[in-house]
Amino acid sequence: MTDDVRRQEQPLSGETPPFVQSALRVFDLSLSQMLWSRRTIFMVLVVGGPVIVAFILRALVLFAGDVDAGLLMSGSDLFGLMFWVFYLGIAVPLMGLFYGTALIADEVEDKTITYLFTRPISRGAVLVGKYLAYLVCTGFVVLPSLMIVFFLVTPLLGGSIGAGFPDLLNDLGLLAVGLAVYGAVFALAGAAVKRPLLAGLVFIFGWEPGVLMVPGYMKQFTVRYYMQGLAPHSMPADDSVLGSVLAFLQSAEVIPSTLMSLTGLAVILVGGLGLAIWLVERREYVLEQ
Amino acid sequence: MPIHDQSYRRYGGNREAPGAAWLVIARFGIKAALSKRLCLWVMLGAWSQFFVRSVIFYLSANFPSMDVLAPSVQTFRQFFEIQWIFVFFVTVYVGSGLIANDRRSNAIQIYLSKPLTRVEYVTGKLGVLVFFLLGVTLLPALALLLVQVMFSASLSFVAENLFLLPAITLYALVQVLLAAFSILALSSLSNSARYAGILYAGVVLFSNAVFRIVQGFTSTTGLAWLSFQANQDQIGDVIFRLPTRFESPWFMSALMIFVVIGLSAWVLERRVRGVEVMT
Repeated sequence: MTDDVRRQEQPLSGETPPFVQSALRVFDLSLSQMLWSRRTIFMVLVVGGPVIVAFILRALVLFAGDVDAGLLMSGSDLFGLMFWVFYLGIAVPLMGLFYGTALIADEVEDKTITYLFTRPISRGAVLVGKYLAYLVCTGFVVLPSLMIVFFLVTPLLGGSIGAGFPDLLNDLGLLAVGLAVYGAVFALAGAAVKRPLLAGLVFIFGWEPGVLMVPGYMKQFTVRYYMQGLAPHSMPADDSVLGSVLAFLQSAEVIPSTLMSLTGLAVILVGGLGLAIWLVERREYVLEQ
Repeated sequence: MPIHDQSYRRYGGNREAPGAAWLVIARFGIKAALSKRLCLWVMLGAWSQFFVRSVIFYLSANFPSMDVLAPSVQTFRQFFEIQWIFVFFVTVYVGSGLIANDRRSNAIQIYLSKPLTRVEYVTGKLGVLVFFLLGVTLLPALALLLVQVMFSASLSFVAENLFLLPAITLYALVQVLLAAFSILALSSLSNSARYAGILYAGVVLFSNAVFRIVQGFTSTTGLAWLSFQANQDQIGDVIFRLPTRFESPWFMSALMIFVVIGLSAWVLERRVRGVEVMT
């Protein structure tokens, strides 16, 4: 093989590396930044809280002999409630919001986006690399937390770990899907909107519960609707005025099938991330002085 | 003669009476927020309930068949209950960056190098938030009461429920002060407005979640004081002279609200300093 041919096969030093390789480089860099920062405290609080509550509940049942006299729930029901309220209701949307919007917004706020965008890699690869780092970082923290809660709570008051284990696997998968989908939606918000936190909070607490009241197809534009179709535990009732109105309006509601839920979530994930990449590739970020 | 004299000079401006400087911070904070279009949209959204209820009041006053929609004390209580979500949005939007942004740009040191005390600085920031929060709680609630009088062309409802005026004012103040102190304390803990906002959302939601779990587990509402939101609901029922919705004693909720405000004030006292001493 001549020197000329060899030179043609090797990439030139100034050539842009492939998309996947670039994304993996950014992933490697971002993972350590996400794991070892002061913001990890937030993540620990969000996922550590349910574990502490589970410990307290377990201690309560173990040390108070007659505590089960007035209790209506079995351990597996309690785990289902904790899964909905703590994980699907708070941890997944909030972590998706916090880290998803931070993928681009953090770099803009810190005025470091210039350094990333002047590297010889595509802008989309930066976003994808950071998104993958978010998934790994949050997944490694949230999923073990759920497992600990499962093993602490399920055996209480007549519940069985063996019987509930298939549901746990389903729950773990659902959390991973939830983190991926919410992360993609909020990555889009972070790339598109100047104030992504407010937009995200309005989406979680305004749009998602709000459109569930509207009859027709509107609810198909929420993540929660599709998550509902995949959850093995029934959604807990809300006692507030709004909750009662919602329960009345949704009494004839049909929960989407598993296939429909998976398709819906896949569309949101791919659409959200794809749009975010498209926006990041084209948008000019003006840094505030 | 040097063009720019950098040597020591005495302060040449007017010296205001001590304790009035907070107004400057509050005024500029309010102006800065109002100059953003998004802020106006958020405020307009927060008034949407007022507009809907005004239409309902009009219908009930003018069409006898719609008597069932006539306002009552519960109407005003429910108004605050639904308005909670807008209080939450405004708190996060306006409040999360009030101190965090100053910390990020090291502006607190500059503020405190002027004739301005730490208390005045915090009061000024608090003033900004209180202005906007009262604008979405007290103001629309009082306006709603006025609308009721106007549409019914009678003072009989107000005369029968005279306690509504102080009740609305007191409950709005409870809601506003709790939200304002909490978000300011969280804002002072971070350099990022987004982080402060998400921390606030986390605290509010997590405390509610803990209460819901305990309620589901024990099938009683005796531990409602654990929840940020339930404490306000419980106190609201007492202020509006309605039966309380939770089994926990109302004074426990009042105590928790005082504790949260006190804790926030303590955090602010520790975090808002001209010089940060690293140990």
